[in-house]
Amino acid sequence: MQFQMFWLVLSVVCVVWYSTITVYVAIKGFWDIKSMLERLAAPDDENAVNR
Amino acid sequence: MSHFSWPIDGGIIGLYLLATMAAGIGVRRYVGKVEHFLVAGREMNLYLGIASLAATEFGIVTCMYTAQNGFEKGFAGATPGILQAVAMFVIGITGFCVKPLRDSGVMTIPELFEKRFGPNVRWLAGVVIVLGGLLNMGVFLRTGGEFLLLVCGFESGYISGTHYLEIVMTILLLSVMTYTILGGMLSVLVTDFLQFIVMSLGLIIVTVLIFKDVGWTKMMDAVQTHYGAGGFNPFANPDMGVSYVVFNLLLQTAATLTWQTTIQRVLAAKDTDTGRKVYTRTAFFFVCRFMIPALWGVAALAMLVPEQYGGNTLYAMPVFLGQFLPVGVMGILIAAMLAADMSTDSSYMIAWAGVIYNDIMSPFRRRAHTEKEGLFWSRFIVATIGVFLMFWGLWYKLEGDLWTYLGVTGTIYLSSMSTLLIACCYWKRANDWGAFGAILAGALIPVGFLILGLMPATKPLAKSIGPYYSGIAAYASAAVAMVIGSLLKPSGTKG
Repeated sequence: MQFQMFWLVLSVVCVVWYSTITVYVAIKGFWDIKSMLERLAAPDDENAVNR
Repeated sequence: MSHFSWPIDGGIIGLYLLATMAAGIGVRRYVGKVEHFLVAGREMNLYLGIASLAATEFGIVTCMYTAQNGFEKGFAGATPGILQAVAMFVIGITGFCVKPLRDSGVMTIPELFEKRFGPNVRWLAGVVIVLGGLLNMGVFLRTGGEFLLLVCGFESGYISGTHYLEIVMTILLLSVMTYTILGGMLSVLVTDFLQFIVMSLGLIIVTVLIFKDVGWTKMMDAVQTHYGAGGFNPFANPDMGVSYVVFNLLLQTAATLTWQTTIQRVLAAKDTDTGRKVYTRTAFFFVCRFMIPALWGVAALAMLVPEQYGGNTLYAMPVFLGQFLPVGVMGILIAAMLAADMSTDSSYMIAWAGVIYNDIMSPFRRRAHTEKEGLFWSRFIVATIGVFLMFWGLWYKLEGDLWTYLGVTGTIYLSSMSTLLIACCYWKRANDWGAFGAILAGALIPVGFLILGLMPATKPLAKSIGPYYSGIAAYASAAVAMVIGSLLKPSGTKG
């Protein structure tokens, strides 16, 4: 019974955590891509200064 | 009978493919150097890293064997996911090996080995990594194709009688090759991000529908009826037990430390802290990675009779989903699985290309390549890997059991490389003698076990040893060989 409860809780936590993290990573990841491409588009000497 | 509808589900899939290709090809103009191509100029930030790692480490093949685990072992089949999450979290939080690795500024693990063990070990490590990795990847395309066709309602006998699978997966592979060759790691990261969203959407929707329409009680009852306590507790399962848990803990720890596609996210991170955070914050995803498909497998166990999946437990989950999901959701599932497969394929191609270019080819270069030459060769290698996969993994039909194949090819590489990495980072006496010994011992045990299992005279012996004890022995012997080899070498000897 304890093990059955463990798997039930783990299954629910997985779905809830995964749903939340998907939305969060989708928003934050978009800005990561934007800033990554901006840094790569900058000339080399400017890149070095930024780092 | 599958509920796949060409106008609705096909439209969703078409839209996804169009968006992926546009994004993948669109970033090619940012690639000006080899470093951009192989590690995205080391400009990857935390959340992009999380999305990319999650998308890469979940392919259709993962979904298939984890669902098979759920079908054959019940909820206990999700145990390797918990072990991997623990390993990843501990490694991320402590920085064990990944901190010195990222701090060193190398692009691949063998490059780090050269600093400690010399160029010969770097070259040999590169060969072992590429061989193990590519042979492992060899089964991805065919398994992925089988899933897609079964979900769409093709019967397994029909699949083997036509070339539908080969044609569909060749087109898919060519699409992935196109954007990976043009944009390298940058395209991989951007498409991984898109693929993470689509894949996650599909995984969540399907799981919620299963909870709602199949129901927890029915799934629990099915596991209890078929497997009793062993379906919930790996230690009570006669097919699992302590050896299964120990072997999987070693396997998942070694994979987290040295699997090229996983470690590449640490190497591409903008700094060491970001790399470590990618690990700690992605760790729980690896529980989901096993748990969600295992739930699908358990649902298939509750809903299907053996005649419906032809007795092949690998096919049970896709057959079940094909009958269970409504029109529209079917399109989302297939787009999600295509996303999962494409992200895995592209990341694997760029990861192994990095090792081939950086570690295997480097001793043969008479002079340093210009950026233009480096880019040409990197792209050429990605294309060659793609062609290899097309013939080895798709047109050449592999025989034997999928999990054994993955386990053996993975252990050949993981046992020795994890030993070398740990010794390289933390043991001052480690040297090239020990490194060569570890590579040899790590490969001999799994290959020897495979040969024992193939010969009629020694087959019973192999069966009595079992794959888990043989796997544990491979890790132990690689470590012992590293210690003995290093201690045997007279001090003061070069290398």
